[in-house]
Amino acid sequence: MTRTEASAPGSGGTAEGVWRRLIAQREFAPFVAIVVLWMIFELASQTGFFTSAALMSSVAALTASVGMVSLGVTMLMVSGEFDLSVSGTFALAPAIMGWLMRELDWPIYIGLVAGLLVVSLAGLVNGLITTYVGVPSFIVTLGMLFLVTTINRIILGGFPVDLIKEQGVLKSVLGGDLPGTPVAAPFVWMLVVGLVLVFVLRRTQFGNWTYAAGKYGGGVARAMGVPVRRVKLTNFVLTAFLAGLAGILQFADFGSSSVASGIDLNLLAIVAVVIGGTSLFGTKGTVAGSMLGALILGSTKVGLIIIKVPAEWYLGLVGTLLVISAGLNARVEILSRGGQRSSIFG
Amino acid sequence: MIAPPGPAVVELERVSRRYGKVLAVRDFDLAVHAGEVLGLVGDNGAGKSTVVKMISGYVAPTSGTIKIMGEPVQFRSPKEARAAGIETVYQDLAIVDDMALWRNFFLGKEIYRKVFGIRVLQVHEMARICGRHLDEVGLTSVASPYQFATTLSGGERQSLAISRSVYFESRVLLLDEPVAALSVRETRRVFKAIEEAKAQGLAVLYIDHNMDHVAPVADRIAIMHRGGLSRIVGRDELTAAELAEEVAASGLSGDRGE
Repeated sequence: MTRTEASAPGSGGTAEGVWRRLIAQREFAPFVAIVVLWMIFELASQTGFFTSAALMSSVAALTASVGMVSLGVTMLMVSGEFDLSVSGTFALAPAIMGWLMRELDWPIYIGLVAGLLVVSLAGLVNGLITTYVGVPSFIVTLGMLFLVTTINRIILGGFPVDLIKEQGVLKSVLGGDLPGTPVAAPFVWMLVVGLVLVFVLRRTQFGNWTYAAGKYGGGVARAMGVPVRRVKLTNFVLTAFLAGLAGILQFADFGSSSVASGIDLNLLAIVAVVIGGTSLFGTKGTVAGSMLGALILGSTKVGLIIIKVPAEWYLGLVGTLLVISAGLNARVEILSRGGQRSSIFG
Repeated sequence: MIAPPGPAVVELERVSRRYGKVLAVRDFDLAVHAGEVLGLVGDNGAGKSTVVKMISGYVAPTSGTIKIMGEPVQFRSPKEARAAGIETVYQDLAIVDDMALWRNFFLGKEIYRKVFGIRVLQVHEMARICGRHLDEVGLTSVASPYQFATTLSGGERQSLAISRSVYFESRVLLLDEPVAALSVRETRRVFKAIEEAKAQGLAVLYIDHNMDHVAPVADRIAIMHRGGLSRIVGRDELTAAELAEEVAASGLSGDRGE
């Protein structure tokens, strides 16, 4: 451990001090990335990009699912753990919901609750095995991914399940566009849940404990009497719950779901979270950053189509962005050693 | 032997701890009094850390009794021990690097207000109190309680952790090698914080394998050998040379394992 004498704190008033403080914000890099990407797409396309309501509506719709999943993944990753099963739970919640409505003629809201309960249980099992048995979450949740996918296949027999006949109010609240706007309801849900979690992480005791539970802080937190296992367990359940909710929102929006729904979300959510500035070792990270990360992914997907880049390039570009942002984060770590707040939120 | 100043705060009576076939601590008796610093020295494997872990609620004694203020206690977790007024400062487990100082200061004992059942942090109040204590400890290089703990030096981190126990009006302060790997100047800073805790009437139990670290600040020194207590000496009871002799006789050395 190399630790120098206390370095000089960021000198407040000077232009350099303000600049240092700004770039030390974990949300700064993803924010700049969005501005740059949007400018490029705006200039390179004939239709415009952020000036086009229709395109922004597509970006919002494409951001919603990965965004919602990444919210839980952020909380969990800040507390020092991973969940690779989110793409499985994303597909399982609507499968259970749709199956119960089709086979047993259950009303939509009971199907919804049942779907969310089952995936939350999967999260609980992830958490219990990780925290009490001591198996790394990477392995536990990879196993869970296969397990929930198999359950999904058994329930639906590999076929899609539909929500097309449902005409209730709940379906239009969960999916479709916000009345009178081109904004997809799942995107609004993501924003609302995201803002709640920004508050939870920054301003509640549970949030403080979530920070402290990370890889390097966990031992200290335990010594300080923080119930680290319970904190991680709660975040495992939250992650699975939000992944299931995201799946159900997409189900209501698209009117159909299958075992393949959200199949790449487990990795894309981690990409969004890392691009958003959260450390793989926990403690350092922000919920707002992850929402920006998800917005970067959504914007890139739409933007590439608009500037007529072949769709196959998308994942390659995402991979490049991932590595660049991880490198930037490492730089920001060094620059932020001057001592500022971790975020504009406190 | 010099008389300890205040009443006994922590008492260990015939305490043993077994790990499988290994008896880490055997029939150990010790009392730490209010307003004293009791040094506990011994070689690696002598059982010092197990003593700390038993008092701080990490592990339970296999047999024997631990008393706090004369009352027998059985802690099931560090949280219960903390609630009983026992603060522990470990060498590496004192402060979370990448968290703001105020978050560190109040970790596990946050000030909150319940809003619809949710424990909402009183950030400004905590930052204000933390800032005041940073001043009192003399961490003048710290500009703000909002800055990260990574900006503190090793000695400043330990001092902050020690001053935390004073603020929370703890009865007992357990120090597990708090100055290992610190410079002389940094060590002096930590000693100042320990003296302050002592002046506030805390019972301080200071564990170290290095005699030279404990001697300047301890009122009494307990020497531990193979899980048991070999002897307790007063600070002024023996000269430095005699102390070194004593240590050597117990199979200890003064400058081991830095």
